[in-house]
Amino acid sequence: MKRMTGLAIALLLLVSTVSVGAQNVQKPLEITFWSLFTGGDGEFFDAMVKEFNASQNEIVMKTDTVKFDNYYTKLTAALAARTAPDVVVMHQDRLSTFVPSGVLLPLDAYAQRAGIDLSTFEQAPLNNCKIDNKLYAIPLDVHPIIMYCNLDLFAKAGITKLPETLSELFTAAETIQKKTGAEGIAADNTTATYKAYTLTRMFLSMLMEQGVSVFNADNTKANFNNDAGVKAYQALSDMVNKYKVTPKGLDYDSSVADFRLGKAGIHFNGVWVTGLFEQQPGLNFIAVKFPALFGTNAAWAGSHTFAIPAQKSIDEKKVMGAMKFIDWMTNHGYLWAKAGHVPTRKTAVDTKEFKSLPHRADYADAAKYVFPTPPTSKWPQCYDTISDSLEESIALNRDAKTALTRMEQTINEILKK
Amino acid sequence: MLLHGADHKKRDILFFSLPYLTVYVAFMVFPVVYGFYLSFFDWNILSTKVFVGLKNYVEAFSDPEFLSSFFHTIQFVVISTPLIIVVGFIMALIAVRPTKTGRISETVFFLPYMLSTSVVGTLWAWIFQKNYGLANQLLKSVGLSPLGWLTDPSIAMTSIIIATLWWTAGFNMILFSAGMKQIPEEIYDAAKIDGAGSFTTLTKITIPLLRDTSLLVLVLQIIASFKVFGQVYVMTGGGPYGTTRVLVQYVYKTGFSYFRLGYASAMSILLFMVILLVSVIQFLRKPDETQ
Repeated sequence: MKRMTGLAIALLLLVSTVSVGAQNVQKPLEITFWSLFTGGDGEFFDAMVKEFNASQNEIVMKTDTVKFDNYYTKLTAALAARTAPDVVVMHQDRLSTFVPSGVLLPLDAYAQRAGIDLSTFEQAPLNNCKIDNKLYAIPLDVHPIIMYCNLDLFAKAGITKLPETLSELFTAAETIQKKTGAEGIAADNTTATYKAYTLTRMFLSMLMEQGVSVFNADNTKANFNNDAGVKAYQALSDMVNKYKVTPKGLDYDSSVADFRLGKAGIHFNGVWVTGLFEQQPGLNFIAVKFPALFGTNAAWAGSHTFAIPAQKSIDEKKVMGAMKFIDWMTNHGYLWAKAGHVPTRKTAVDTKEFKSLPHRADYADAAKYVFPTPPTSKWPQCYDTISDSLEESIALNRDAKTALTRMEQTINEILKK
Repeated sequence: MLLHGADHKKRDILFFSLPYLTVYVAFMVFPVVYGFYLSFFDWNILSTKVFVGLKNYVEAFSDPEFLSSFFHTIQFVVISTPLIIVVGFIMALIAVRPTKTGRISETVFFLPYMLSTSVVGTLWAWIFQKNYGLANQLLKSVGLSPLGWLTDPSIAMTSIIIATLWWTAGFNMILFSAGMKQIPEEIYDAAKIDGAGSFTTLTKITIPLLRDTSLLVLVLQIIASFKVFGQVYVMTGGGPYGTTRVLVQYVYKTGFSYFRLGYASAMSILLFMVILLVSVIQFLRKPDETQ
């Protein structure tokens, strides 16, 4: 009898351990994340997360559906209170706002432990996520500024070659304007819903094409009131004021609408409008990397990255789960490419899924030429200020020296604070 | 144990206002006091606060963006306030008439006020859109050349004022018509018997008897105009090149995009002091005029 009881207890214990064990296996690890994608991008992102959740049963990604119009305000507050989710999506140019405060985890060791082969990433965007040689985020995509050309208008104007130099660009734009009556270059130069960021993006790209970075090495002073700056500014101003191939007062939404409706020959914008243009019936266009207007290729780019916030106490299991998610998402970048963005991982680009997407392959190599935004927390303010300043000087047709001197003063003032 | 009636009353007052008071203290009193405190610090939310004394205030007066934003705000207040008040008053004159048109127009005039800032902003941004907007389509249809309603620095602020007028005049109408309804009918009857025309009735009876209402409307409108933000943010984003950027927008950007909380607080306090000053002057004027 005693033996029987003993056996029964042993059996019971065994069963309960097994069932506890089974529960541990079956109950997936819940990992929370925030992303900032709305509208077109959002659908693709949500679909990817869903597919990740379905692809395995160890991890479940959960998001709170909050409004993302004040994403960084909410994120900053959450990071300050150490209540941020396990993984967050963040633009690369925001990293320098957060990293110095120690609210993001350095990821090098975790990436290694999770077996993420960092050499499969395009090195330019990956290096842009490093601060003081430590990796603080893993890039999901780059979204560089590129050039869109309306092939029908090109044909109508008798242009057979896409412009590659500055003079070819202006000649092509003038020819289109003369022969077809359409706008030469749709590039926003006035604030409406958005600031005239395209001017800034082109300006930064043109500077970098001449090997010049917008700030000095330690980000304490402006570095554009020089020959390279004059050339870049002059090109933008000429586009509007001299050759008049871009209408004055064009805002972002109009520039997109003009190209979309076939009213403009050339359009400069980020890759994110590709999807929109594709859906436009009758629009026959090509999207190529930003031309090497000053000799070498360089393109301003934004980059969506994944970062892991530091929590009150670090839960290694969750961090590793998050890394697994990041690994999967970057590896499946071809799904994300449907939104127009360029995947950062060679393993995502070298797939037939990616190669079968129209247009994307034409500008996929743009990822090689992206450069980092200056690693200073002042960057968001400088970016806005440069946009306002370029917009003003071009609208008032200021000469390059005056325009750049004014802009230099304002920027130096901000960097000093 | 029984309490005296007065004690009961006191207790009840406290009890019933407690929910409101809690929210009021948490979301109004505390932030105001904390904002004042913050204005003496350098803080980006994530960093430790560094006491800087009056540096933020000094900075504001040498910051061209603050000064220009302040100027644009004054510009908006000066132009929009009388317009919105006068139009609201005229609306009220139409709406108080005890006819069907009166009642319908009251609803029509008030409807826009019920819309949110973003709806109004987006709506007018589209109406004034340069290439595809309704306003320019109308201009083109009568053979006029289109205007850069929101992209031409010389008229962008006017466009914002037009949108604001359409949106908020209805609120002043409600205040005015409430005031008008309180004027005893007998006064008008007496005036009629004395042979006063409608213009005389308006200038000698309606307007003088609405003095208190007008003062209230004026103060509320000035405060509301100083706080202009949403419609500018949505319609022009402060552009073209910062020519319509208003103070609250700059405070918002500084605080929540650039995370300079101390400086943003200091600028808010400066705005608060201006509004306070204007309100005090308005209310001090009142006894003098009634004497």
